[in-house]
Amino acid sequence: MSKYSMHLLVCGGTGCHASESDAIVCNLRDELEAKGLMDTVQVILTGCFGFCEKGPIVKVMPDNTFYVQVKPEDAQTIIEEHVIKGRKVTRLLYQDPVSKEMISDSKHMGFFKKQLRIVLRNCGFINPENIDEYIARDGYQALGKVLSEMTPEQVIKEVRDSGQRGRGGGGFPTGLKWEIASKNKADQKYVVCNADEGDPGAFMDRSVLEGDPHSVLEAMAICGYSIGASHGLIYIRAEYPLAIARLKIAIKQARNMVCWAIRFSAQSTVLILNFAMEQEHLYAVKKQH
Amino acid sequence: MSKITSLADLKKKRDELKGGLDIRVKAIDPDSVVQVKVAMATCGIASGAKTVMEFFLEQLERRNIAAIVTQTGCMGYCYAEPTIEVKLPGQDPVVYGFVDLKRADQIIEKYIKTGELVDGIIPVNYQTIDFKE
Ligand SMILES: Cc1cc2nc3c(=O)[nH]c(=O)nc-3n(C[C@H](O)[C@H](O)[C@H](O)COP(=O)(O)O)c2cc1C
Ligand code: FES
Ligand code: FES
Repeated sequence: MSKYSMHLLVCGGTGCHASESDAIVCNLRDELEAKGLMDTVQVILTGCFGFCEKGPIVKVMPDNTFYVQVKPEDAQTIIEEHVIKGRKVTRLLYQDPVSKEMISDSKHMGFFKKQLRIVLRNCGFINPENIDEYIARDGYQALGKVLSEMTPEQVIKEVRDSGQRGRGGGGFPTGLKWEIASKNKADQKYVVCNADEGDPGAFMDRSVLEGDPHSVLEAMAICGYSIGASHGLIYIRAEYPLAIARLKIAIKQARNMVCWAIRFSAQSTVLILNFAMEQEHLYAVKKQH
Repeated sequence: MSKITSLADLKKKRDELKGGLDIRVKAIDPDSVVQVKVAMATCGIASGAKTVMEFFLEQLERRNIAAIVTQTGCMGYCYAEPTIEVKLPGQDPVVYGFVDLKRADQIIEKYIKTGELVDGIIPVNYQTIDFKE
């Protein structure tokens, strides 16, 4: 159980990253250090909250206060006023453009009010560079279940029945795609994740990759198991350096901790994953890579 | 980093790690859990508010009560420190004064668990104004 009584979530998505969210993290930590609060308050860099236009965003938990357009020099005020004295920093709250009301909890903002986050559930909630937080949110449970309790056919049926469709634009039924791939005979099959999001202004893939990279790896491994592919490839655009960096970290952590061998080559923008797919090898790490 | 070698292992690991995100999970809907605010201005700290806050953090967790414990500034009741505000889900907040560990324990056992009021309530003597700019 954590001894922290407060979490400060700082957005580390591309938008906020570009407007110095790293410096905010440094300043917050310096302030906490100076006030002797490092053991009470935890600072976490997360993925995108989805509200990049008003970034950098800092969220204070547990009271769920949502600060917008935070500058590195605001760190001191946030610690002194909010963390220590429990007074919200009103000038950093979001102002509703119509009612002019200052909104403190993002749940009440027009932008978030009607959102139900499914794919982006962990985005802006966990630290994408820490596999522990992913596991705490039931991460890798689906893969674990699939590997130990289901046959590939059962997995495909499950995906078919769920009605899941491709998110890459075409909306092709995923279960059907996997079924066709599983029936195809080949010496070697691959799961290819196309992360070359090219449509101007489309950032949903980027958000998942940056904010919840393990979910992509887990899904690819599940797909690999169900179609009989022992390898996976992620093709990702060079314009997404943060997503590439986070994916590489995720792959390393998954390889060290969740024991199927995942291998990747780092020299290009193609990341190669290597899942050990046979049931008996699934949890026996292969060290060679 | 420890290696995970089975699904049971993975589940165990998850259950161990879950607590680390507790604060964030509760923050999704703070009004559904008990909220305790401990006044932590100079006078509060001088009369033991820090110990009281630690007590609540520790005991609510030990007694399995989903709660958010935060600190707040001076509530203006310096004569009655340490003061705390307790808000049960769906109810108006109640302020308690002179909260030592004994009273803190009563507040958890009686007010938080059963809703029964205990001694030390500071009656509401102000109105909250919702101001719009
Ligand atoms: C509207 C639309 C937009 C697409 N945009 C891209 C793109 O930007 N970059 C790319 O490499 N592929 C793009 N594709 C191709 C899909 O990524 C590709 O077809 C993929 O196999 C879809 O897989 P899925 O249906 O399982 O999501 C696009 C396809 C459609 C229909
Ligand atoms: S990058 Fe920070 S909210 Fe999107
Ligand atoms: S609506 Fe025509 S391509 Fe999407």
